[in-house]
Amino acid sequence: MVQVKDSIARETVRDVEALESSKYKYGFTTDIEQERAPKGLSEEVIRFISAKKEEPEWMLDWRLAAYRRWLQMEEPTWAKVRYTPVDYDDIYYYAGPKSGTKYESIDDVPPEILADFEKLGIPLREQEVLLGVKGAAETAADARETPKVAVDAVFDSVSVATTFKKELAKAGVIFMSISEAIREHPELVRKYLGSVVPQSDNFFATLNSAVFSDGTFVYVPKGVRCPMELSTYFRMNAEGTGQFERTLIIADEGSYVSYLEGCTAPMRDENQLHAAIVELVALDDAEIKYSTVQNWWPGDENGKGGVYNFVTKRGDCRGRNSKISWTQVETGSAITWKYPSCILRGDNSVGEFYSIAVTNGAQQADTGTKMIHLGRNTRSRIISKGISAGRSDNTYRGLVSVHAKAEGARNFTQCDSLLIGDRCGAHTVPYVECKTPKAVLEHEATTTKLSEDQLFYARQRGLDEEAATALLVNGFVREVLQELPMEFAVEAQKLLAVSLEGSVG
Amino acid sequence: MGGIRMTLPLKLTPAETALLDALDGATGWRAATRAALENRGLPNKRDEAWKWTDLRRLTGNITEAGTIAITGTREPDAKLPIRHAPTDILPRLAGALGGEARIYTLSEGESLSLEVTASVGVGHAIYVVEVPTGVSAQVRERLSVADGGFANIAVLYRIGEGASLDRIVSIGDCPGILAVSSGVDLGEGASLRQTTLTFGGKLVRLETHLAHPGAKAEAVMDAVYLLAPNRHADLTTTATISGPEGNLSQLTKGAVASHGHGVFQGKIHVEREAQRTDARMTHRALMLGDRAEIDAKPELEIYADDVQCAHGNALGAIDETALFYMRQRGLPEAQARAILIRSFLAEPLDRIRDPQIRDSLLEDLVTGLEALS
Repeated sequence: MVQVKDSIARETVRDVEALESSKYKYGFTTDIEQERAPKGLSEEVIRFISAKKEEPEWMLDWRLAAYRRWLQMEEPTWAKVRYTPVDYDDIYYYAGPKSGTKYESIDDVPPEILADFEKLGIPLREQEVLLGVKGAAETAADARETPKVAVDAVFDSVSVATTFKKELAKAGVIFMSISEAIREHPELVRKYLGSVVPQSDNFFATLNSAVFSDGTFVYVPKGVRCPMELSTYFRMNAEGTGQFERTLIIADEGSYVSYLEGCTAPMRDENQLHAAIVELVALDDAEIKYSTVQNWWPGDENGKGGVYNFVTKRGDCRGRNSKISWTQVETGSAITWKYPSCILRGDNSVGEFYSIAVTNGAQQADTGTKMIHLGRNTRSRIISKGISAGRSDNTYRGLVSVHAKAEGARNFTQCDSLLIGDRCGAHTVPYVECKTPKAVLEHEATTTKLSEDQLFYARQRGLDEEAATALLVNGFVREVLQELPMEFAVEAQKLLAVSLEGSVG
Repeated sequence: MGGIRMTLPLKLTPAETALLDALDGATGWRAATRAALENRGLPNKRDEAWKWTDLRRLTGNITEAGTIAITGTREPDAKLPIRHAPTDILPRLAGALGGEARIYTLSEGESLSLEVTASVGVGHAIYVVEVPTGVSAQVRERLSVADGGFANIAVLYRIGEGASLDRIVSIGDCPGILAVSSGVDLGEGASLRQTTLTFGGKLVRLETHLAHPGAKAEAVMDAVYLLAPNRHADLTTTATISGPEGNLSQLTKGAVASHGHGVFQGKIHVEREAQRTDARMTHRALMLGDRAEIDAKPELEIYADDVQCAHGNALGAIDETALFYMRQRGLPEAQARAILIRSFLAEPLDRIRDPQIRDSLLEDLVTGLEALS
């Protein structure tokens, strides 16, 4: 037994080493020409961004209103994270590849970007579709035989390409960058933008409302089951750039959509800011499944560099019997401040949150969810698995709030934390508020290390130490992994392995 | 989240102004207390630790000076002036305005009983109980505050190495506002068994801050709250475990009638050195009627890896199946309900070791339930 324990301590040392830059396979930058807005934030910069995107007047006014509000707000300090303050005047708020936003043929896409996507391992088997007009239909037809993923790739601030657009259009699904949507479907954008995360919701969301440069827009019409998984890859590239994407997904009555989001950023010495907003709206009987694999550059083992991930994600189950499910695998970012939430407004609506958060090295994550029960018979389920290693801090922070009218509401929450090594921290901060006697709320939380008995048992069956540890960690997060779509589950498992290399193999 | 910048100075309530007046001309830490009060006011919803209990709002107009009478089975061993300032604003105020601290040093096998009665108006008091090394003793505290009163009480327990203390706190009829901040210093290998029973008040806030050395020391912090309409009770505990091999067990149970408001906040902080800690915290509560509210925040902050820590929190209504079964057996509904609530709430009280005190608290519980139905 003692032997097993000693070797865990050794693995821990290796965990920390695993964070060294060489292990971060997404740590490359792409050498392409960037067009940037002037550094810093001012009304001029916002006008510049808005003009660049050829936005209508109302959009500019909306941004300016958010900016003026932001000037009066203070950065929140309640999260359990410590970081060097962000100098908001030392950031480029807009950086786009100079060659333009959309490509008509393969020759138009800078080869550097293509190489980038290849390195990202985006399921761009549809690369031809992504690149050209010609042959798109054939590719789409070919692709029909295998599971398909339509991809929108956001590079720094600009969405560079959306695949499978035509096939989606056949089903009536609108899947495009949000700047295109503002031009092509202003009525939808105007109706829903900011209706879940209001303009001045919080400090970072308000900043995003002022400066968001691109992102994804999805509209699934009534009764349509989106024929494929939709996916966005976000990548920060330019130095000193912030990324402020905005995603808006609307599932109309009786529709279904599954959406995947992946994130990477190159290695840099300085900290990069990422302040995104995701808004989901599910109308009557609609369902949205939103999955994230977040692997922004976490900084080096001494906590130098890395992405500040300050994200506001919220779904509104606006209709009866609607359902929103968040699944996240968080392995990256130096600082994570993220609480994907559900407002369960419609009667019988369902909210789910499945999360794996892994911190290693000097990472700090403060993440969790909010389930706001407003409608009758609303149900929510929270499964959170936190794994801390190295010198990191990992906090689950969540709120379950049941309104007086939410009769028949039901919540189940389970937060488990695993500590690997004796220099990290695992924290659980659940808030529970209940205002009706006709609700049932349950919360369980545990904090442990890997069970020596289980390790011993696995090793006794012939597994080596590393395989045994991997087995146990996989078992620990299993409930969440199985919620991920197949395409992502594989990637997520690889990411877990990289993040905890040495102890989970 | 992301609040608007506060530029306006705080508009003081009459109660706060009266407290400031009482501290006029103060020096040293008392002056610092006055400044802190002037800047931030009394605890209110904007303070994270007081999120669900707005003391500032409810004390608003209480300005006259009140008195707090402490009578016991015996006189204190000493009365000493307060030299050092506690950290939080309420015990600081109690230290600054509560006069001399009463010091009780317990002897082996002693059973001390303290009756704390507060009148109309604002009163402060501070007392200290010392349990010397190796001594086993018991303290029972009964507190009440008159309608229109605000009693601010600071208590300090020092439990020496290998000592053992059973502390039973019960709040009787309390139409006024009561805030008790208890600090408990637990010695190595010492044992604390604390049980609290409260029926709430206009506002009752009972804070216990436990400094736990690990070191084979054991702490039990149990509580029961039963709240009639418009009663408010807030049970807040923090436990900081600083060394290896410590034990902590917390069980809080509550039941809240229509328009009652129960709050449970518990925090277990396990420091890096506190390996092999075993800490458990459970809060379970029943909502008895519409417009009842229960808020809970069971928190874990853990820096040691070889630990077993868990917390559970469950809220809901009375089990209808059990109720149905009992009615089927011929019990009237009200009685069946009372039996179910009693058996649910009795669990922490059943863990009291002294049979006389246990029975007396169980009796109080039954009386409280009868008053509810």
